[in-house]
Amino acid sequence: MTLVIEAAVLGVLTGGVYALMASGLTLIFGVMRIINVGHGALVVLGAYLSFALFRSLHMDPFLSLVVTMPVMFALGVVLQLVFIRPLKTDREALSVLVTYALALGIEGVLGYVFTTNFVELRAWYETASFEVFGFHITWVYVFGFALCLTILGALFLMLYRTSFGGAIRATMLNRTAAQLIGVDVDRVAAIAFGIGVATAAAGGVVFGITNAFNPGSHYDLISRLLTIIVLGGLGSLRGAVIAALIMLVSEDITQVLISPVWANFVFFVILVVILIVRPQGLYGVRVRDRI
Amino acid sequence: MGPLLELQGVTVGYGGGDILHELDLNVEEGAITCIVGPNGAGKSTVLRVVSGLLRPRLGRLRFRGVSIAGLSPRQILRRGIVQVPQERSLFPTMTVWENVRMGAYTVHDRALVERRLQAVCESFPIVRERRHEPAASLSGGQQKIIEFARAMMLDPSLVVLDEPSMGLDPKTRTTVFDTIRAMNQAGRTILLVEQNARSGLGLASHGIVMESGRIRLEGLGSAVLGNPEIGRLYLGASA
Repeated sequence: MTLVIEAAVLGVLTGGVYALMASGLTLIFGVMRIINVGHGALVVLGAYLSFALFRSLHMDPFLSLVVTMPVMFALGVVLQLVFIRPLKTDREALSVLVTYALALGIEGVLGYVFTTNFVELRAWYETASFEVFGFHITWVYVFGFALCLTILGALFLMLYRTSFGGAIRATMLNRTAAQLIGVDVDRVAAIAFGIGVATAAAGGVVFGITNAFNPGSHYDLISRLLTIIVLGGLGSLRGAVIAALIMLVSEDITQVLISPVWANFVFFVILVVILIVRPQGLYGVRVRDRI
Repeated sequence: MGPLLELQGVTVGYGGGDILHELDLNVEEGAITCIVGPNGAGKSTVLRVVSGLLRPRLGRLRFRGVSIAGLSPRQILRRGIVQVPQERSLFPTMTVWENVRMGAYTVHDRALVERRLQAVCESFPIVRERRHEPAASLSGGQQKIIEFARAMMLDPSLVVLDEPSMGLDPKTRTTVFDTIRAMNQAGRTILLVEQNARSGLGLASHGIVMESGRIRLEGLGSAVLGNPEIGRLYLGASA
């Protein structure tokens, strides 16, 4: 029983990291109706930027976010302007191809600069742990979870307490109506893409400390992130958070109770059952409800 | 004094050919101008051009004598033209209050926004009554009234309405048309596209009949409504 509780706690802590990474992906989908298949590669890029700062300046990975998040935000805005905005027709389908090409491009550049060898971000809290109620918890998971809570909290505050957040939500809910009340939807889309990419940088740091990674690590990552936002409901931040927790907690408990081999299987059973009952995902909106 | 809104020789299309062909159309200040016509006549396209969602390929578009052709929807809003689109345009998961406030998104003077909210609540009591409810929980007619209320947050000179009665039952339709009349009596100029020609022309001071991207007939709303040919084509044989 102790092991199960410990696994559940670990699942919640790591689930927060996935929630953070998936929140950027679902925000981008919500505002622009595009699937950013390159989101996993952007997470890996964020991890490599922190790795570069650690290697050259010995900068703490969490501290490096002060540099990497603004850089990734700016990169996101530029990527949106250059690659996404020109897509005028058949946007959903073309965006998959364009962002996949983007992922391959990032992977290629990272491979050239850093080689394809696996690396890991290092910090004192990577292995140091503390004991609470008999459980051993590694500090990095606590710091990572705190970071996720802070960023997700800031994201929710921005969305629900600011005028610009209102414009983002309006664009997500009805793009034409948002235009007709004066929202500059192109500007909203560029900034939302930037925010999504900046959250990828934050997620990349925790991912990079808790996992060895190389330029090809984005394939596994993006498949998991897409699964999370489908379960949560495309475009729903709240859904992404809940779905990430369901995924990680169910996997960690299955590993302890049954076997690591069955961890993914159990989650996908949960996914299929929920999608049969609610095809739009936990917090998604059915297409016919929009009309 | 010239018309409030003036379209001269406007030609526009979506890429697969032109929808409007050298269209000339005037909207007089203080009037209710109603455009009717069969599907595909280009009625809604006129409104999309006026609100900046679609740019004219040729022709002139003037508001208060100043060109507005090529301006963005945001710039056109700032000049006092607000459009309520055909389809439901409230933000469904936002509350009624949030929706109405969003109408003043481009206004940065908070005191002014509060004053307008008070004024809108007086004209549209439903805003205060249902303020905490999500917009999606309202009926179709109630949503349309809230859309009007949201449009009033910019204190517009010209209100552009695209088929406001679409999908509404007769009783609700009467309420919606009464609200349009009240907005007009409060000093707003109305440009309206209406599929229900009899109701639209009955309300309008000026009627326009469009066909294939051109104006086929125009005149006083009652005169257009009484025109035998128009009656036969669009209003049913008995008209």
